[in-house]
Amino acid sequence: MSHDNSLLGVLLDEKNLTLEELAHACGVAPQWVIERIQTKLILQLTEGDTKTWRFDSISLRRARRLVFAEQVLDANPELAALVADLLEERDALRSRLGESD
Amino acid sequence: MEFKNYYQTLGLEQTATADDIKKAFRRLARKHHPDLNKNADAQSRMQELNEAKNVLGNPDKRAAYDRLLARRQDGQDFEPPPDWHHGFADAEHDGFHDYDMADPSDFFANLFSQARHQQGRPRRGKDLHASISLSLAESYHESQRNIVLPVWKTDTQGQVYKEERTLSVRIPKGVTEGQHIRLAGQGSPGQAGDKAGELYLEVHFIPDPQYRVEGRQVFQTLPVTPWEAALGGVIHVATPSGLVKVTLPQSSQNGRKIRLKGRGIPGQPDGDLYLVLAVILPSATSPSAQALYQQMARELAFDPRQSSTKG
Repeated sequence: MSHDNSLLGVLLDEKNLTLEELAHACGVAPQWVIERIQTKLILQLTEGDTKTWRFDSISLRRARRLVFAEQVLDANPELAALVADLLEERDALRSRLGESD
Repeated sequence: MEFKNYYQTLGLEQTATADDIKKAFRRLARKHHPDLNKNADAQSRMQELNEAKNVLGNPDKRAAYDRLLARRQDGQDFEPPPDWHHGFADAEHDGFHDYDMADPSDFFANLFSQARHQQGRPRRGKDLHASISLSLAESYHESQRNIVLPVWKTDTQGQVYKEERTLSVRIPKGVTEGQHIRLAGQGSPGQAGDKAGELYLEVHFIPDPQYRVEGRQVFQTLPVTPWEAALGGVIHVATPSGLVKVTLPQSSQNGRKIRLKGRGIPGQPDGDLYLVLAVILPSATSPSAQALYQQMARELAFDPRQSSTKG
């Protein structure tokens, strides 16, 4: 396999996202994420100061789903979280059934 | 440049109210969102909807677009008049967010992104998101994929045009379903010298009825004959990490799981591979096969319904 001019991707879960990186990846302000952390609609991997918060692939996918439900469908944050919960449960059941999306 | 009729995109008349636009967008976005719609064109339909909402959902942009629409003559190649966008140069500060505007049409990029390019303040490039499909076997070792991404450039006349950029990406070993691969600086370019955004690739495994994956644990269906299941013995099995010799225990039933430690998806720690036995019966179409089944029926005196009721 040639590695010339090829980029090595970094697995997100080996180097997790900071608060600012998660917010930028979702196209929202860090305060939007902080509010959803405080209300436990998004979970961070690490407790403590916001500077030490880290987020994995699961958090990124969930945050993007919340953004979609809130910004596109005008759902309030709790309803958006319910949508994300149901989609996550659907994904888990499909995985157990061996189905693809 | 192809003219885009954003009213048609949303299935609306030009007389639609702001509320009509919002409702039509929500209804169609729900229908075409890639989380809910797995058709190959769902992403591009969503992109069209986003563009239409971006333009028609903003009063200044909509007014400018309506003026273009009124001047447009069917069948003519479309070129925007100079300075036509006067009046909405600051429209992106109206609170509307571009949800996933990763690959806008030429029409949108020229007419509605142009205004942004004229603003001189530094701004970091947007992060881009894309999906990538891999076979399960590819997660067992580093693999390589070419990814084609759109790049927007401006010619000497100030027209925006799209080019394709091919990225050769090395996918790290041990990637799992739903995990994101991050490519630093491969998102949208920054403005006025600011940093480019990131590119995130969300990994999905190509469906394979032989495998089921939960995190790093892999479940592989292993077809076996009734005599292999009953008598046990050593068989050779092709697994995602190569051919392995497996000892089947005697009296194995359908659905029995045999764990091969560390042969799941590599990681810290490595996942395990579970071989799930699927006993396949030979068909009884030939006289000799029928005779064998009849002999078993006579000599084994086996009634699975009785054994299940006894627990």
